[in-house]
Amino acid sequence: MTDSSSIPADTRPQTRDLRTPVSILLFLLALCSPLFLGTYAVHALVIAMIFLLPAHGLNLLVGYTGMLSLAQAAFFGIGAYCAALMATHFDTSFPVNLLAAVVLAMAVAVPLGIPALQLRATSFVMCTLGFVIITQAIAKNWISVTRGDMGLSGLPKPTFSLGGLSWTASTAQQSYYVALGLAALATFVFWLIVRSPAGRNLIAIRENETLAESLGVPTWRYRLAAFVLAAGFAGAGGALYAHYISVASPLMFQTLYTTTMLIIVLGGGSGSISGVVIGSILFVALSEGLRIAPELRMIAYGACLLLLVFRFPQGFAPYLSKLWDRIGGQTRKEGSA
Amino acid sequence: MMTIFLEQILNGISTGAVYAIVAVGMTMIFGVLRAINFAHGEYYMLGTFGGWFVISTIGLPYPAAVIVGVVVTMAIAYVIGRFVMQRMIGMPEEGSVVATLGIALILQNTVILVFGGGYKFFSAGYIEPVFFGDIGIAQQRLLIIALCIAVFVGLELLVTYSRMGKAMRAVSQNVEACAVVGIDVRTVVLSTFVLGTGLAAFSGILTAPVNVSVYGGMGEIITFKTLPIIVMGGLGNVRGTLVAAMILGIAESFVAGNFGLQYRDSVGFVTLILMLLWRPHGLFSARARF
Repeated sequence: MTDSSSIPADTRPQTRDLRTPVSILLFLLALCSPLFLGTYAVHALVIAMIFLLPAHGLNLLVGYTGMLSLAQAAFFGIGAYCAALMATHFDTSFPVNLLAAVVLAMAVAVPLGIPALQLRATSFVMCTLGFVIITQAIAKNWISVTRGDMGLSGLPKPTFSLGGLSWTASTAQQSYYVALGLAALATFVFWLIVRSPAGRNLIAIRENETLAESLGVPTWRYRLAAFVLAAGFAGAGGALYAHYISVASPLMFQTLYTTTMLIIVLGGGSGSISGVVIGSILFVALSEGLRIAPELRMIAYGACLLLLVFRFPQGFAPYLSKLWDRIGGQTRKEGSA
Repeated sequence: MMTIFLEQILNGISTGAVYAIVAVGMTMIFGVLRAINFAHGEYYMLGTFGGWFVISTIGLPYPAAVIVGVVVTMAIAYVIGRFVMQRMIGMPEEGSVVATLGIALILQNTVILVFGGGYKFFSAGYIEPVFFGDIGIAQQRLLIIALCIAVFVGLELLVTYSRMGKAMRAVSQNVEACAVVGIDVRTVVLSTFVLGTGLAAFSGILTAPVNVSVYGGMGEIITFKTLPIIVMGGLGNVRGTLVAAMILGIAESFVAGNFGLQYRDSVGFVTLILMLLWRPHGLFSARARF
């Protein structure tokens, strides 16, 4: 009791706001990491950033609109095949293929989304799973176009040319910057979407669709728009992935991909941008970087999914924002966002 | 021409019988839990692996292997039911989808890790053909059809007359009311789950002599095929499931015979999507129960 007057503010371990310097540090770390990481670690980070793109899309559906879709893998594959077909038949450059993949994925999402979005909950999940299986069947059996199980191989590495200048991302380090740039761009676009009035309407739909409808939110159109935008994100991820590993094959529709996207979003914390970014690094880069056998990784993913459902329904995002608050010196404010 | 047609129908019925035994477990679990068990095919796989393991290591005769496979699977399902499925009572549907997907991943990859990912050869059962005039069919297929009928008659009796069966029906109608009148919902969920997965395992070992190959990833496709059947049959509807499974089995058999084997597995999912859009409550129910 007597001591309390003598140490007024020192009980608080940290009061200065360190968020800006920490952000700058993280930014520099992201920029410089290829310089000191090994090739394999850089590769792991590239894969994580590629998966971030469809995961953003899935987050838009699960975290902001409240729809659990398994169809992201289908659009990821469509994007990959689109880029592969463009590159091998028309010899177009990477930016063109990327754009085409986004447009095609979104265009396919409209006719699929219109019927699927009539469904709720489990029926919607089953229907979106059906899309993945059917696109996989098409990729396997439309041999004249997709070359079946062999897939389309020999995609060039991403090349950017402007006037006479041209630059090709041929090494893992160079691919890292391409992936980083695209991931940053996608994250920024995602941030723009969810911060806009449209994003708030999506959250309103997630919280209470009937109420949102009664307040004049055209819920049906918003849900379709979210589905289509999510497909666009997945298409971009697929195109980047195909160019990075230089092949598009029916393996891209495997459960592995769907599960990876799901665990990034649920593990990182659906409805949180930073959560999904951290989630992709945590679940993809770590497991890829540690070279865990794929079976063991799937078992770990399965256990994680169970833990997330029963123990951490919010994912790791709450812990993350707590940490962020601590860096900002707000340890005492319990429960403040 | 007629012979081929009849053979296709007969093969379709035997495939349908396999699907029916798997799907009826899934639809019963849905009835009490209101959750689609996305791991259901994995129990089919576990049963097959259990049977294959005792046949190839200690050379048990086929009927004993069937029993071992089913019992082992039910034991594993008991543990999972105890720690996972019971917690899913009253959970939002998305949560149970994710949880059962997690179980599917764990089961499938543990088996691949332990036994290797390659194809195994299942050499047991009764695969000599019998002939009715020109139509030949493997004995095993006739056995499957006969056992499917026995399973459904047994289930019908169980659900209609036994105390547990009545409790299952009650839980699938109204969980709160069951709790009020003193039905232990958790026990009902657990026993339905163990029964349903045991049926999946049973179906797996029954088909293994016909399919011949056994591998870790075999459960996934079974889960995928069960979905259209339970939707067609009307979720939670036992009799509807039987008819729906027969429809899918025969349709697959025709598609495989007339268009090519590679299109066979797409039939189910096209059916699923059409059903969900056209009659999400199933072919036989007048309106949605859930």
